[in-house]
Amino acid sequence: MTHTLHRRGTRESLSEDYVMLCLPAVGVNNEGHAPKLKKFLEIATKYDPVNIGTIKLGNMYSHSKEEVVKAAEAVVHAVFVKQGQVADVLKDLEKADLGMSVVVSGIFEKVDECLKKAGLKHHTANFSLGIWGKTERLPSNEILEVTTMCGHAMVAANLVREMVKEIKAGTKTPEDAAKVLAPQCACGIFNPARAAKLMAAMAAK
Amino acid sequence: MKIDPELCIACEACLPYCPMAAISMKGDVATIDVDECVECGVCFRAGVCPVDAFVEEVHEWPRSVRAAFSNPLTVHKETRVPGRGTEEAKTTDVTGRFKRGFVGITAEMGRPGVGVRFYDVEKVAQAMAKSGVEFAHDNPVTFLMVDKSTGKLKSEILNEKACSAMIESITTVENIPAVIKALREAAAQIETVFTLTISTKLEADGSALCEKPLKKLNVPLYLNGKVNVGLGRPLFKEES
Repeated sequence: MTHTLHRRGTRESLSEDYVMLCLPAVGVNNEGHAPKLKKFLEIATKYDPVNIGTIKLGNMYSHSKEEVVKAAEAVVHAVFVKQGQVADVLKDLEKADLGMSVVVSGIFEKVDECLKKAGLKHHTANFSLGIWGKTERLPSNEILEVTTMCGHAMVAANLVREMVKEIKAGTKTPEDAAKVLAPQCACGIFNPARAAKLMAAMAAK
Repeated sequence: MKIDPELCIACEACLPYCPMAAISMKGDVATIDVDECVECGVCFRAGVCPVDAFVEEVHEWPRSVRAAFSNPLTVHKETRVPGRGTEEAKTTDVTGRFKRGFVGITAEMGRPGVGVRFYDVEKVAQAMAKSGVEFAHDNPVTFLMVDKSTGKLKSEILNEKACSAMIESITTVENIPAVIKALREAAAQIETVFTLTISTKLEADGSALCEKPLKKLNVPLYLNGKVNVGLGRPLFKEES
């Protein structure tokens, strides 16, 4: 499972894209994990995430935030657009001492700064070595920047193109278009705020 | 997945939702190309059909591997492993999965959004096996191997298609050049794409032992990635 890795984009755009996830390790500390994951989401929601989700149910664009928090199980996610939010969540998590593994995805230096603010350190990293093989089959980079925000590839390139058309035609705002894309990513790791900006830029061309 | 032709009103609302672009208009009804469909369920879950014409089917082996690898809400029936892969680096603070001097190398076949036939999964797995990696035991692709030393998959699944399938392995830092060479050769022989991940424990200063060999091989690391922040308990203690 590398679903929050391989998000594509420029440094500027990725500077507004942080995914946090929390999960137990099967066979090590998974007994009674659900209330701890619920606590993670309660902490995360204090800091205004642009998305939260749990794979067993879905995300805050397919259900209410309260329903997602209540259904926390197996692995939960929260998405933020600012470093300060991530640092604050990490500080609270350290105090809460849930004992669950926590992973932060983002630009390494930016994540590092958040960890320092929270008094934490890197333990392990997943590095992306890029996309290999028949890359000519991929959609354009600007489409990939949106679609790779769902690591399970549930946000279709054609749906992004359709939304950009609607923004251009004035039948949808970029924010409303992003809300059409977000529910497709059941885990809740899709960043609709970033998607809206990216699609607005595409529509402006 | 199928669309009931008696119910379809040809509104075309569902067409852009398919990640594999497998839905098209045939005459006055929307139709799913069953060979290209990976059974991810996006069209069904999206709920955009105004007349509920989508019918979610339960498939027998070997077609059942499509949903198992493509629908994130499906638990692997055949592999008995939930999700497409293992917990890999996400819980390594408590499992000690990646020890100093070792790295995880994962080729996620078909990602992002292109899809993959299992014959291409086998090609890359066989190349990785020859380079000396050890496949992750609890990974769904490993479960489909008839021979874990060669990476050979069950023959009946080879033409099945999935949204993506993860080949997960562990090897030593010293073996990275051999794996990269094998992957470069395999990448030229497949019809699809794969994303490549390297997972590693970090040194006290935040650096990784794999950085130097990768630089020497001209394999750049992307600016963004995933960091396990070490909050899991009990913390795994590696013997020195």
